[in-house]
Amino acid sequence: MLTEALQRYFGYTTFRPGQQAVIEAVLRGEDVVAVLPTGTGKSLCYQLPTKLLPHATLIVSPLLSLMQDQVEQLKKMGERRVIALNSFLNRAQKQHVLATLSQYEFIFTSPEMLQQPDVRAVLQTLPLSLIVVDEAHCLSQWGFDFRPDYLQIADVFQQHGRPGILALSATATQQVLADIKHYLRLNEPFELIQSVDRPNIRLMRERFTTQEEKLQWAFSYIEAAKGAGILYTQSRKKCEHYAQQLLARHVRVAYYHAGMDMYDRQLIQQQFIAGELDWIVATNAFGMGVHKDNIRHVLHDVFPATVANYMQEIGRAGRDGEPAIAVLLYAQGDEQLVTYVATEDIPNDVQVDLYTQQVDPYDIVRHGAASDTQFRVLHYWLQQKNAQQVKHLLGELRLEKRKQIEAMQQIVSTAACLRQLVVNAFGQVVEEKPTECCINCGATYELHVVMDKKAPLAMDVNWQMRLHALFPL
Amino acid sequence: MKFKQLLLYLLQSFREERTVSAPYHLLKGKRSGQTIQDVGLFSLYAYFGILPKLARTRFDEAIDELVQEGRLTVYEDGYYMVHQTINEAPPYYDGWHYRGHEHVFFARLSLAVQTLSQQQAGDLRFVPLQKDEAVQQYVRDFLRWAHYETGTIGRVLKEELMLVCSELSEQQAQRLLLRLSGAHVTGYSWAQLALFYDETQLDTQLSFVSVLHTVLAHIERLNVPLLQALTQHIKVDTVVTHSALQTAQLYNEGHTLEQIAQLRRLKISTIEDHIVEMAMSDATFSLAPFVNEQDVANVQMLVEQLQTRKLKPLKEHLPHMSYFQLRLILAKGGRSSC
Repeated sequence: MLTEALQRYFGYTTFRPGQQAVIEAVLRGEDVVAVLPTGTGKSLCYQLPTKLLPHATLIVSPLLSLMQDQVEQLKKMGERRVIALNSFLNRAQKQHVLATLSQYEFIFTSPEMLQQPDVRAVLQTLPLSLIVVDEAHCLSQWGFDFRPDYLQIADVFQQHGRPGILALSATATQQVLADIKHYLRLNEPFELIQSVDRPNIRLMRERFTTQEEKLQWAFSYIEAAKGAGILYTQSRKKCEHYAQQLLARHVRVAYYHAGMDMYDRQLIQQQFIAGELDWIVATNAFGMGVHKDNIRHVLHDVFPATVANYMQEIGRAGRDGEPAIAVLLYAQGDEQLVTYVATEDIPNDVQVDLYTQQVDPYDIVRHGAASDTQFRVLHYWLQQKNAQQVKHLLGELRLEKRKQIEAMQQIVSTAACLRQLVVNAFGQVVEEKPTECCINCGATYELHVVMDKKAPLAMDVNWQMRLHALFPL
Repeated sequence: MKFKQLLLYLLQSFREERTVSAPYHLLKGKRSGQTIQDVGLFSLYAYFGILPKLARTRFDEAIDELVQEGRLTVYEDGYYMVHQTINEAPPYYDGWHYRGHEHVFFARLSLAVQTLSQQQAGDLRFVPLQKDEAVQQYVRDFLRWAHYETGTIGRVLKEELMLVCSELSEQQAQRLLLRLSGAHVTGYSWAQLALFYDETQLDTQLSFVSVLHTVLAHIERLNVPLLQALTQHIKVDTVVTHSALQTAQLYNEGHTLEQIAQLRRLKISTIEDHIVEMAMSDATFSLAPFVNEQDVANVQMLVEQLQTRKLKPLKEHLPHMSYFQLRLILAKGGRSSC
């Protein structure tokens, strides 16, 4: 019967692993935690139930770009009763949306919006069948320090008589799972944890003494590589610089970061999806909404600060199930850079004291003694706990960040199987070791790639030809 | 024309009578009395607000470079001297009338083109590259209004674009087309275009604004109903500041300047500023209540003779006229077109 509905609403004939069990639990009205690797149809776990349940579904999404992408995907499938209630709306638009909210089936919103009294008031009276918390790992991974609003989702809905909550994530360690269940106050949830392992992605690693050697290796690799790839790096400046170097080597490449205007970002993404570009040099802003199945390579210029980020980023390779390669690059001293970037937003003890001493605490930002992010963290915690407790908590947070970085450093330095180490970090075990496993298990860089190069219309053709290409008729 | 060239041209146009920051406020479209009056005084309507997002650091960088290249000297007090005469006039701009809205027009156009291109390719399941909800709603309404379901308006839009593009230079038309996307063609980012034309990204954006202003001017003139429908509320004809708008209302109801000053509890000089703004913005604004034709002719002649738009020397030659009258004539007379 479920399969029938699947066929009717989405045109698929079979479920992917895990989907059916999750959907059945959701339809029974239970709380559910589902960890499904990226690209395996997480969204269907609420899309199908929404079509079958009597009332609307509320989807809380931590990132605006993610929300927008999901709204677009639903609209693309012909679903009209979709609305995104987010900070992009101006006051009049927001009032209009709130007044007409009951006509929608899929209501997307952000944790920040949920804090606003008028939004809360409407949502608390609206009949809902399901609440979805998407990317639920953010609750632990960033929500803890950078997105405090995410922790308060549970407060919005009364514990008695609220609809079931479905917490979705692609990557979650045991600790993150515990955080999700705790902060969302889930009630004996049904849990489905799919393995985080992606056996078709080979885990490679290269170590160098100097930054220069590392980069030369990366550029040569990219120059020779077949198929599409992403080079992840840390800063916008590096993105632009590396792309320039690669262009000089005649690689079909562009850079992508959040400092570009929205339309430019869309154009680059579109060129990449269409096969007009082979490589993207990007900050971690790139990836969401990139529906491209045949990415063959993901390189990391510097290792990510957490194993979860690493898994999410390499997980963009090989969604088509064909072999793909992930290369983690390392040069001596990288760990200092990573530690600095990862901990700079955590306030220190001096800032805690400063905050408590000010009449208007925001003065510490105005006087340059703290960043906006640091202020938000302080502001949230100091309303709930005293200064001593907050100092203790922030200390733990720093410790936790360092632990995460150490886990990545282990991956950088180990002589053992990388796959086992990565999968173990999520409290799981590798079920079946692929032949081409990782650098320490003797995996090779050989890849048979069916090329999907598409030569775009040359830039220097005259405007008449370009216009004709847009409108052939 | 490159950004730095334009800066020199503007500094030259300010006749070294303002500080080196004046072009910055002009390009940003700063809504202050000084900047707006200067627009009229130095006849710089074309460049008002053509780079609303220009970063001060980027502007300062360019000024520093001009100084290093020996083309400009900046003094301690902020005033400056230009050492190189720019004879080449900048390309067409109409900043006064568009004020950054040209980008809204382009967003609408690009979404309409993407949608109709997809329609011709027989695949209406696509992700719009324009994310702005207001733009999406506008284009949805536009498509319905144009009866896109008949499947023929893609062809009509193509013809209209052909007509407009043939009025542009080859390169201008190419720049426009390279930013557009459709079913089998993807547009290019600023970075990619800058590389292609061997210029900075700021130069690329600056030429694109000129292309859009030119396109908008042709759309207004030609018989292109679909393109015209995409230009609604893009051109501004109202006075700049909100306060000036209130004054304009009272003035149009027949109140005298003194009455308006009393009603609004403002100084008479402020009301005069507003009247100058109105004269600059409203093509039909009549100077008759304030000056006679002979005065207008005298001032215009004197401006030619003395080669200045500074009020003080003009006033010295025409002592019977008030500063307000002089500013009004300069505001109105400085416009090449309305």
